[in-house]
Amino acid sequence: MNNILEVSNLSKTFENVEALKRVSFSIQNGEFYGLLGPNGAGKTTTINIISTISQPDTGYVKINGMDLKNHSIECKKSIGVVPQEIALYNELSAHENLMFWGSLYSLNYADLQNKIDETMSLMGLTDRKEDKIKTYSGGMKRRINIASALLHSPKILIMDEPTVGIDPQSRNLIFDVLEELHKNGMTIIYTTHYMEEVERLCDRIGIIDHGNIIAEGTIDELRETTKAEESINIHVENSEHINTEKIKQIKNCLDISNGVITFSSKNSGKDLPLILMELNKAEVGISQIEIHKVNLETIFLNLTGRKLRD
Amino acid sequence: MLKLAIKDLRLIIHDKRAVILTLILPIALISLFAFAFGGVGGGSNDANPISIFISDRDNTDMTKEVISKLDTMKSLDIKQIPFEEGKEEVKKGNRVALLVFYKGFKDSVDNGTSPSMELFYDQSRQIEAGLLQQVLYSKLMGIVGQKTIKKSIKKMIEKNNPDLAPKDLSAIQQQVDEQMNSFGKSDENPANNSLGIKTTPVFAKAEQNLGLVQAVAGTAIMMLLFTVAGMGSGMLLEKEEGTLKKLLYSPIRPTSILFGKMLATVAVSIIQLSVMFIFAWLAFGLNIFIDFASLVLMILTTAFACASFGIFIASIAKTRKQVESYSTLIILVMSAIGGSMVPLFLMPAIMQNIAVVSVNYWGIQGFYDIFWRHLPISDVAQRALVLFGIGSIMMLISIKNFKKNILSIA
Repeated sequence: MNNILEVSNLSKTFENVEALKRVSFSIQNGEFYGLLGPNGAGKTTTINIISTISQPDTGYVKINGMDLKNHSIECKKSIGVVPQEIALYNELSAHENLMFWGSLYSLNYADLQNKIDETMSLMGLTDRKEDKIKTYSGGMKRRINIASALLHSPKILIMDEPTVGIDPQSRNLIFDVLEELHKNGMTIIYTTHYMEEVERLCDRIGIIDHGNIIAEGTIDELRETTKAEESINIHVENSEHINTEKIKQIKNCLDISNGVITFSSKNSGKDLPLILMELNKAEVGISQIEIHKVNLETIFLNLTGRKLRD
Repeated sequence: MLKLAIKDLRLIIHDKRAVILTLILPIALISLFAFAFGGVGGGSNDANPISIFISDRDNTDMTKEVISKLDTMKSLDIKQIPFEEGKEEVKKGNRVALLVFYKGFKDSVDNGTSPSMELFYDQSRQIEAGLLQQVLYSKLMGIVGQKTIKKSIKKMIEKNNPDLAPKDLSAIQQQVDEQMNSFGKSDENPANNSLGIKTTPVFAKAEQNLGLVQAVAGTAIMMLLFTVAGMGSGMLLEKEEGTLKKLLYSPIRPTSILFGKMLATVAVSIIQLSVMFIFAWLAFGLNIFIDFASLVLMILTTAFACASFGIFIASIAKTRKQVESYSTLIILVMSAIGGSMVPLFLMPAIMQNIAVVSVNYWGIQGFYDIFWRHLPISDVAQRALVLFGIGSIMMLISIKNFKKNILSIA
């Protein structure tokens, strides 16, 4: 497959804060790519540059082989962007909003009407088409926000944390829509700090932290390259009285926070009794034990020494 | 209770907008009206000189002497000009009046008949013209009036008393001279109004009520400025709500966003001004068809200048609150100095000179030109050109600011 998007050596500094440090990655046609990282990691800055509203200090972006800097209008026609904010006009109906946003892409009236009907149906909101946006729930607004980016049938759909603050029903509907679009061959770039979303949706993942892509690949590849291990979370009683320094010396102890001690393990069945014995020696009272198989959380923890939501 | 009050005071102090509206705006308006009506800043209580033209068509030693004496008066600012040109300038509102000494002025004074002179004045500046007549009659009476009256009385005595001895006639004449001289030294000269100077308003058609023109034009422009400032702040609302960012994702050029907003603002401005004038026509009988082409020209250019102002305010502000603060302050000040709140002819000359910096001034004067001065479209077009220039300059600055302030969203 061909690369539909190529990002090379992007750097961006805001008032002495280096938001991006030579970020490079590429995405293949039809791929569902997840850009995962904590808040402030550089996800939105990367998206802003790809969607042409911010200029990088160094580096370049190519969309469909075209340099973004020199062919920004052509590149913009190839992408649809779903911003983090619900960017709609509340006083207009959903239909009026979509008419407006679609008209910016020079679609003829009949095509646009058909596309609006199609996307409204996809989003399950056909019967609310003529209602003003201000009467919609948060989740419904999010769906219209996505619909407005699909009207011109973009080759790449860029989504910047599109599920922030919505109800589970809308979230699942959005996931179903994205899976449908992906199945039909659309390339999707999806930024989030929710690992479960990335695990469910994405073919390939780039993990970004402090303006760097620190790892990239499928979940299996990341598991392999990072040598990530299972994690054992032990919830303790009276956490304020435990001897933190002594516990940290126990083999494979990764983290102690909020009354939870986290250990990494290649074989939790074998390691757990040893850990419990050591904790007993340290006079730690245990209230609950969780064993987590290797997931993105543990991969991120393994890569950065921090939890994703820290 | 005290804690709540202190908290509220702290909030006000931290809210720049509230501070501006609470303190700076009233101070600015008080200063402005003090300048306009209180004579503040003049350095003395002397009135500002009234500007008039003089046309000397008699061109005799007597007219030169009269003009020279008028020129020494601090209350008058005199400029000599040919008759027709002077009349046109007064018509355009450039000076309050034109005093004409006709051919035969000296002869009329020598013969003791009414001096052959006429005062043409701008009827839209009636108050200044009234003051001018007081000043002018008093001085002219001192210079030429006595000569005329003395000769007139002498003629009358001779005519009514043909048998009077020359000695007695001379004695009576001397008494008349003494009495006239004592009048000449008095401020309460009973003959002040007896010169018989013909006064002619330059616009005597009286088809339109000046107060109505002032009310419609002044209010319409001021309210339009508030409307466009609100529309300008819509651009910042788009920035705050994320729709501007989304517009930037689309394949339209960033300046098209600004021009689109400008177009909508101009359209609303044209509609608002048109509705105001149509209302004035229907409700108050303002004849809007007196020069329809000029009216359309003025509405278009005023709308453009006001719309540019709205976009300009939005482009210098970073938040909608800033727009509200800036626009309230600037609109009230511009409206006060530009003649929207109080007619300019009621203000001193210094305020009338300052007025040219406001959009209101050019708009109102343009509508005066149409409805009051009845000037041809070529003259109205000059005001329209200034409005277009103001609008264009503000538009260019707005484009620069838009790129710097509004587009810096990422």
